[in-house]
Amino acid sequence: MMTLLRRLYYLLNRRRFDEELANDLEFHREMSGREWHVPLGDTLRVREESRDAWGWTWIERCGQDLRYAARLLRTSPAFTLSALLMLAAGIGVNVAVFGFFSLIALQPLNVTEPDSLLRFHRRGVDQYAFSVPYQEAAFFREHARTLSAVIGVNRSSVFLEGERELQQSCFVTANFFSALGGGVQLGRVLHAERDEAPDAEPVVVLSDGFWRTHFGADRSIVGRSIRVNGQPATVVGVAAREFGGVGTGLNPPAFWAPIAQQPYFVKGSTLLTDWSVESPGVSLWGRLAPGQSAKAAEDELESLAAELRLQQPEAIWEGERLLSEPGGYAITMMAGTRRGTGAVVRRDPVYPVIGLVGTMTLLVLVVACGNLGSMLMARGVARQREISIRVAIGAGNGRLVRQLFTESLLLGLVGSAAGLALGATVLQGLLTATGSPAWMDATPGWRVATFALGMGFLSAILFGLTPALQIGRQRHRAHSARQILIGAQVAASCVLLIVAGLLARALNHATGSSPGFEYERVITMSPGLAENGYTAARARSYLEGMHERLRGISGVESVALALSPPLGRMTMTAVAQVDGRQVGFQMSHVSGEFFETMAIPVLRGRPLRTDERRVVVVSEALARQAWPGEDALGKSLELGDVFTVVGIVGHVRSLKFGETDTVQAYFPVEEHHWPSLTLLVKTADSPNALAGTVLTVARQVDPNLFPAVDLMSNAFRARLEGAEYSTLAVSSLGLLAQILACFGIIGVVSYSVSQRTREIGIRMALGAPPVRVLAVVLHHLTVPVSIGLAVGLLAAAGLSQVLRGRLYGLSHFDAGAYAGAIVLFLVTAVIAGAIPAQRALRVDPLQALRHE
Amino acid sequence: MPKKEMPSGALTLLILRVLKSGPMHGYAIAQRIHVLSSEVLQVEEGALYPALQKMLLNGWATSEWGVSETNRKVRFYRLTPAGRKHLAAALDDYNRVHEAIRAVLKTS
Repeated sequence: MMTLLRRLYYLLNRRRFDEELANDLEFHREMSGREWHVPLGDTLRVREESRDAWGWTWIERCGQDLRYAARLLRTSPAFTLSALLMLAAGIGVNVAVFGFFSLIALQPLNVTEPDSLLRFHRRGVDQYAFSVPYQEAAFFREHARTLSAVIGVNRSSVFLEGERELQQSCFVTANFFSALGGGVQLGRVLHAERDEAPDAEPVVVLSDGFWRTHFGADRSIVGRSIRVNGQPATVVGVAAREFGGVGTGLNPPAFWAPIAQQPYFVKGSTLLTDWSVESPGVSLWGRLAPGQSAKAAEDELESLAAELRLQQPEAIWEGERLLSEPGGYAITMMAGTRRGTGAVVRRDPVYPVIGLVGTMTLLVLVVACGNLGSMLMARGVARQREISIRVAIGAGNGRLVRQLFTESLLLGLVGSAAGLALGATVLQGLLTATGSPAWMDATPGWRVATFALGMGFLSAILFGLTPALQIGRQRHRAHSARQILIGAQVAASCVLLIVAGLLARALNHATGSSPGFEYERVITMSPGLAENGYTAARARSYLEGMHERLRGISGVESVALALSPPLGRMTMTAVAQVDGRQVGFQMSHVSGEFFETMAIPVLRGRPLRTDERRVVVVSEALARQAWPGEDALGKSLELGDVFTVVGIVGHVRSLKFGETDTVQAYFPVEEHHWPSLTLLVKTADSPNALAGTVLTVARQVDPNLFPAVDLMSNAFRARLEGAEYSTLAVSSLGLLAQILACFGIIGVVSYSVSQRTREIGIRMALGAPPVRVLAVVLHHLTVPVSIGLAVGLLAAAGLSQVLRGRLYGLSHFDAGAYAGAIVLFLVTAVIAGAIPAQRALRVDPLQALRHE
Repeated sequence: MPKKEMPSGALTLLILRVLKSGPMHGYAIAQRIHVLSSEVLQVEEGALYPALQKMLLNGWATSEWGVSETNRKVRFYRLTPAGRKHLAAALDDYNRVHEAIRAVLKTS
């Protein structure tokens, strides 16, 4: 240990020690010269050997190598610039993707001690829910000892005066800000004692984004009164810019208000008293008390739930556990408020998407590195003279390889810095373009910087090691290595092109063909009856009244009801028993007119009738999946009750990543569903004009309600947008890889031409036709390109198998996409090869023979 | 008399032993070893200075500026307590091995 410290000390003061040593030696020489007249060896050598004892020679050598490499790169700016551009592109895309992943999954949210923050979801024996009844959350908040704070967040849309659309807002337990460490830039935060008191005045704290976009960042806002759902409330603060809170998805809400005041804003709301799982409830977050573990908190909440079940046997599930996951990361918020049955909680398919994009970007880097590798090899041959000289004056093999690799390493490092800058810029641009919230800041932190550095190192190994070894060993005809590099490039860019093609075609299919239902002419209207405390009976009479009135409007073709309509915010999944097997599907409860309104064809049997029980209509795909090779009509399906299949309908695409679409089951509306139903109105022609009428009618029937009225086509487009972004991203990656690969081919062919000028000259002098000459030049490309193509095809086929399981409805073998990618690749490769190959044809035999 | 090169372990031992009698500069160390060995052992600077650097690094010796008999500024090497300890241990080792070798050689 001490030795190490002394060694470091020597390193830091090595100039002084070196001088002292030189002095020692000089003195020694003086003395011995005087007494013995002994000829002495080279003092420099002794000095070097002595310095070796300090153990830092390698640093000096490294420094020498680096200086030399830097000088070399400076003297060939064209090579350096193209190499750096290539690396910056390859590393940049990886940095951008990793940066996004880091933002949502690695970088903690802007809250105090994100590591001790947990998010809980309910888990029963065969059901789960990501929202918790408010009362249950309140019980935990009061009794939990392992948690220092329990936070409940209810997200609702509200109507703000002067706004055309409903706004997302959050009703939170008033400890929200203090528990998360959220601050304000103006006014004050919410306080548990003050704002949860029974006589507290209604208050809201605006989010920074909403304050800026809707109040023009007016600093006099604090103390002003705004109307929420028609009710006055005082703005008491504006949250700090970087505070996004939790429980809101990725976008901060318009405002946060105390959940205790939610019934004041939402007339008739039973949020605070409703124990049922249908209640919107709250998403539950907890802050671990010091020294407590997540396991301890789960155990405590489980026993608290068991205790609560004694009082509320209906509401609390048997064996209910509250499972936790780390709450301090953005990705936790993506779970939303899903609920469903089954033993396995379905996760949001964010990771597969990121995995896919990450694989693609790595492939781009592979292409870039392959390219660089070929460039370095070509350069190595050009440097043959220099290397021979080095060998001649005694550079060992290892020293030579180290020198060459240091050059690559330097390139990799500079490239990673360039890639870091490029990637961060691209990511920031994308975030801004997609309107991401302020806290999603692409400025690279240490994680991203380390990643970029690692990528630079990795690529240095990828592109630099083989050439360094080959050149170091003075194997100038490094054919096989170069061919492998080309093959790898071809394979990687082939995979990218094919997958991009597959995704593009899948998207085309999704947008080009019908999604399986009518969306252009349908208006959705969610009155929010449950939120406003309507009982089932009241809800039914309201909806039936609406139904009558809407039917009376000219231009309305039909009106239907559904619990979770297509493209809606809520999807329900269920796993039912069919002949002892488990079959999973999406479920909805719909009224009889649903199929007619949505234009979903009834293929066999009949649609549902109002007030029917124990019947079900299944989609064609579900029928095939559940009863393969049999007639599904009349078969039964067990889901709590036994349901008989009375009809088979066409399937509906959900257009969502990872959704097992096309597998649907429709059940009749049951009594307790009425308050949660959505009205669907199909119009005879364009629905735009009628949307306003629907809202007016609704407001006439009950002015306390603020229904969300939207065109289904809007939701459809919004849904597609996500898919379009992904396809666009993958296509750009494919394009980038293709461009890089073309550069690689151009480089390799021009190298080959320049190396064979003599040979070409002789051939031409002997009368070889141009085709023969071209064949000579391109000859050694054919093998690696065809092997690369074959490997790429296989890899793409494998990857698309994986993709099919997780994303979209990719077809089994999309010959079009494969053929298209191969043709595109070959055409560009031939063009890329032809440009430098032309030079071969222009070779003047006389000139060429005189060459050298 | 042929001049013998010696293994570096032995050189370190000799240097430590020589320094035990007081600090001295590199040339004096070489001289002293030469003289004490009745001019059999010749310490080359190519071996001496690397060995000295290693001793400095191991903390067996320290160096300080002094003035030589020719009135020149030069580094003097001084044995540290750690160096003393190492010398004792090394001497022990050496004696044991020496005894053992002698014992083996005596059996004829």
